[in-house]
Amino acid sequence: MTPRNVKPLLGIGLALVVIAFPMLVQSSYWLNLVNLAISFSVACLGLNIVLGYAGQLSLAQASFWGVGAYTSALLTVNYHLPVWLGLPAAFLVAALFGIMLGIPTLKLTGHYLAMATIGFGIILQLILINAIWLTGGSDGIPKIPSPWIGSLELKDPSKFFFVAAIMLILMTWASMRIKDSRVGRAFFAIQGNEMAAETTGVDSTYYKVMAFALSAGYGGVGGWLFAHSGSHYISPDTFSFDQSVMFLAMAVLGGNGSAIGSIVGATLLTLVPEILRFLKDYYMMVYAAGIVIVMIFMPGGIAGLVRTFNISQKLQTWWQASSRAVVQAAHEAGTPAANLLPPVAAAPHGDGTLLTVRGLAKHFGGLKAVDGVDMAVRRGEIQALIGPNGSGKTTIINMLSGLYVPSAGDILLDGGNITGRKPHVITTHGVARTFQNIRLFGELTALDNVMIGQHSRTRTGLFGSVLQGGSQRAEEAAMREKALKVLDFVGLRGQEFAQAKSLPYGRQRVLELARALVSEPKLLLLDEPAAGLNATETEALLDLLFQVRDHGITILLVEHDMSLVMNVSDHITVLNFGKKIAEGNAEAIQKNQEVIDAYLGTEVGNA
Amino acid sequence: MLKVTGIETWYGAIQALKGVSLDVKQGEIVALLGANGAGKSTTIKTITGMLKPAKGTIEFLGQDITGMEAEDIADIGIACVPEGRRIFPGLSVMDNLMLGATPRKNPTKAELDQDLERVFHLFPILKEFKDRLGWQLSGGQQQMLAIGRGLMSHAKLLLLDEPSLGLAPVLVQEVFRVIKQIREAGTTIFLVEQNARMALLIADRGYVLETGRMKLTDTAVKLLANEDMKAHYLGGHTKAITDRRRASRPSA
Amino acid sequence: MDLATNLQMVTAGLAMGSIYALVALGFVLIFNAVGVVNFAQGEFVMVPAFVAVWLMDVLHLPFPLTYLVTVIFMGVFGIVFQRIAYYPLRNRTFLPVIIATIGVSIFLKNGAQIVFGAEPQLMHRPTPPDVLNLSGVFVDPQYIVIIVCTLGLLVFQYFFFEKTSLGKKMQATAQDKDMARLLGIRVATMIAITFAYSSILGAAAGILVGPIFYVTKEMGGMLGLKAFCSTIVGGFGNVQGAVLGGIFLGVVEVFAAYYVSSAYRDAFAFIILILVLLFRPQGFFGEKIAEKA
Repeated sequence: MTPRNVKPLLGIGLALVVIAFPMLVQSSYWLNLVNLAISFSVACLGLNIVLGYAGQLSLAQASFWGVGAYTSALLTVNYHLPVWLGLPAAFLVAALFGIMLGIPTLKLTGHYLAMATIGFGIILQLILINAIWLTGGSDGIPKIPSPWIGSLELKDPSKFFFVAAIMLILMTWASMRIKDSRVGRAFFAIQGNEMAAETTGVDSTYYKVMAFALSAGYGGVGGWLFAHSGSHYISPDTFSFDQSVMFLAMAVLGGNGSAIGSIVGATLLTLVPEILRFLKDYYMMVYAAGIVIVMIFMPGGIAGLVRTFNISQKLQTWWQASSRAVVQAAHEAGTPAANLLPPVAAAPHGDGTLLTVRGLAKHFGGLKAVDGVDMAVRRGEIQALIGPNGSGKTTIINMLSGLYVPSAGDILLDGGNITGRKPHVITTHGVARTFQNIRLFGELTALDNVMIGQHSRTRTGLFGSVLQGGSQRAEEAAMREKALKVLDFVGLRGQEFAQAKSLPYGRQRVLELARALVSEPKLLLLDEPAAGLNATETEALLDLLFQVRDHGITILLVEHDMSLVMNVSDHITVLNFGKKIAEGNAEAIQKNQEVIDAYLGTEVGNA
Repeated sequence: MLKVTGIETWYGAIQALKGVSLDVKQGEIVALLGANGAGKSTTIKTITGMLKPAKGTIEFLGQDITGMEAEDIADIGIACVPEGRRIFPGLSVMDNLMLGATPRKNPTKAELDQDLERVFHLFPILKEFKDRLGWQLSGGQQQMLAIGRGLMSHAKLLLLDEPSLGLAPVLVQEVFRVIKQIREAGTTIFLVEQNARMALLIADRGYVLETGRMKLTDTAVKLLANEDMKAHYLGGHTKAITDRRRASRPSA
Repeated sequence: MDLATNLQMVTAGLAMGSIYALVALGFVLIFNAVGVVNFAQGEFVMVPAFVAVWLMDVLHLPFPLTYLVTVIFMGVFGIVFQRIAYYPLRNRTFLPVIIATIGVSIFLKNGAQIVFGAEPQLMHRPTPPDVLNLSGVFVDPQYIVIIVCTLGLLVFQYFFFEKTSLGKKMQATAQDKDMARLLGIRVATMIAITFAYSSILGAAAGILVGPIFYVTKEMGGMLGLKAFCSTIVGGFGNVQGAVLGGIFLGVVEVFAAYYVSSAYRDAFAFIILILVLLFRPQGFFGEKIAEKA
């Protein structure tokens, strides 16, 4: 059986379960609990997007859940709008609040972000309590209507269950589609390494705000489900910090990053307290102790536990069978690697200047890391930047790739000024880089890493990712094909589905190179590409660099391995203490007395 | 004094050391050389107990110290000046030095003062800046403080991890001069360096590590004269690959 | 508004701020030592408050003995807490640790309810119940006790960390654990002591604030969050910043509640927090974190 023909079966099975469920359960009490669990699940799916996908900790999910509930309750109770209209309103208003939280907290990470989101939630709750004219204050809003279908009121929990179940399935489906799309990969790239994501072409600002908006929107839909079911009554004390904490616990218990895990976590943490009620007063203590024990003994949550027993691994392998088939086909077609590199305007060797740097400087406080450097990189050449540690080489690479804004000076690429532009913009202009201390998206596969590398050359947006129409599918397929070819080119055939961090060090270096190459750069910046490679790997790298150069890609490299530098470089620039002290070809540099004194060293006998 | 036999160390799924053996005798300076990522720092970390080897043994003064905790290894007389200096940034130069004396058993004030004088004699700048906080020092001063701190424990063996890293050439010479003095005063030294030439000029013997394996060992004098060493670690590069470069270049 | 009212409010603000400062200090010491934000810090105040009430009401211990026993109890409590909620998770990312501390917090709240009952309780005052009339300024003597005791603790702490070898070793552990180990410093012991001390600071806060608030299982929640705000406002990870941030928030809160809106009293700390995060993320006293790639 292949994934393709099992999909409809899965759908039919799911539909049968949904239809049969209320008949099997019957008890209104339990059905109400299940509806509540679904409302929590949808909110957790949202939290899973911002936290599990994009890696941003939010402790305000209960607030968005509340915004959704209040939006729809107010519209339907005060303005008598139909309940169904409340649904998109709840999503949109909550998403708007998500953007309001996302934008000011963009620069924050970790604990700061957590605290800012807590503050946001507490302020919002106080507004719900005190803005009586709008929200009814702490008395809350009673008698919230149920949705109707024609003349049928979906009030009974067994009827509302269908609404809830359909919403849950839709929202889960959308979140899983997002996960496995260009947008989802951008989220995971940010989580994996925000700096690398930016230099790979992902606009981290845009995607972080999008993640916050989406997560809040999901929270809003969860709130809508809550307001129009159960007690049909909402009040501010439900939408508390404690509830946000509960959502977080649900998402993490389920397994960070897994949509199904979020649902399982939410359901468990909704139902378990009910099951524990026989413990009377002790049930909350047992429950809390349970949370601590889970954190200690189940690092990956429930999804992680499933993974350790290899169940999901097998499922995943099977699920990926179709992708593997594509890989197989690509390999059998046996297209020569040489044709696979991005078609860069084949400029003849040494024709004109690609990169011009004038008076470039970077000061950190009093430290002049780079102090007025002029240099030019000629098109189609390999140029090396060498010098002692701390001489400013990496700082220059960081300015060229946009990670640092220069204190002074200009950077011109192909005549266009890119000075101080954001890294993802510079990537779009045709500059790609690798890092001295490899910055891969370690949790993702080699293939995903290289697909993220194409971010700046592709377009599928949020809606495209969910809907996956023809053009999006074609783009996805083209990305995958190109990624496979580039992986093949650098010699990673057969390791497409290996997790990046599990690859040996030398393989990781070439994977990072592949991720850079696939963005179709005019200029490739390599920061110590041979660091940590053994002699054989260095040899292979040397070959690879020549091949890349022969494809018309200009290379600027920082390197300490002098045998590599002297052999590969057409031109060498030497830095010392932030200043250029020499430039020329390998022969000239090796004979330059100043370079020997500062860097290459001499056979001094009396150290 | 120190005898390392066949250690294998892993970082998660990556094997950094694939069976490394070496020994250091009383009163020697022994240099461990190799490229970035060859496993030099891992070797140091395994000796100091920061990493636990999966296989192999480490003996110090006849005692098996394999798998011992770092704190206990410091107590029995191995001091380490780690890569990147690792000065306590928020503590004064004086406090940093005094913390270096932690492994000593109830030193008297007079003994400590005498040790401080010894450090200040080697690095006069530290006396001048003794009340400054660690982060206020320049890179070179931090390196001196790190070495000074390493001396305060009266260790029998001093491990130095890349003492020249990030220092201006003139400071590098200064640091190596002091390392020689420390040995002359009776401390055994195990030195890890990328700057192979400088290290071999003061060392008695050297080991060369390549991708987690010991590739070469000899006296410093012979290593300095070794052709292979010259090609790979001592600069003065060959033209072996140049032909291929020319061949692969498109017609200009 | 007349001067006397304002002075009264300053005293109240300083007293409340002192409590925030004590809890904030507990936060920062643990954060600096192990990089963990302890969401159960507020419960480090609630638990000793209940313990003190119990010692006084049930065992009828005199004030000094009650305080001594409470402090010792919390010292042990801190060490046990660290064994359960931190030590097993020490090599993991911060998310599981945060959730574990939240779990402990829920556990303690409900445990307190079972052990001490659901009713709010009143702690006996060590000070006379009448307000003092200081030439027209009416001040609760407990406020003065709070301020003086906090000052005393801060002086003690200064000498402990700056002048003793143990204090230096704890600082070294906080700044660079691996290096501390290489110097033979018993890092695990230093961390346990840090937790014990942080928990004792909570004991002080609980004993001091108990007589002016009802002792309830919820008393620690908002206190803990506001103390966390104080640490960020003052400059995260900065000890002086935590103290000054706490006192600043305490005073601002009292004035804003009086002059702006008492309904939003609990919001001001968080509004200031968000403003600080937006315009001066390093806090009032924090060093600007150098940009580094």
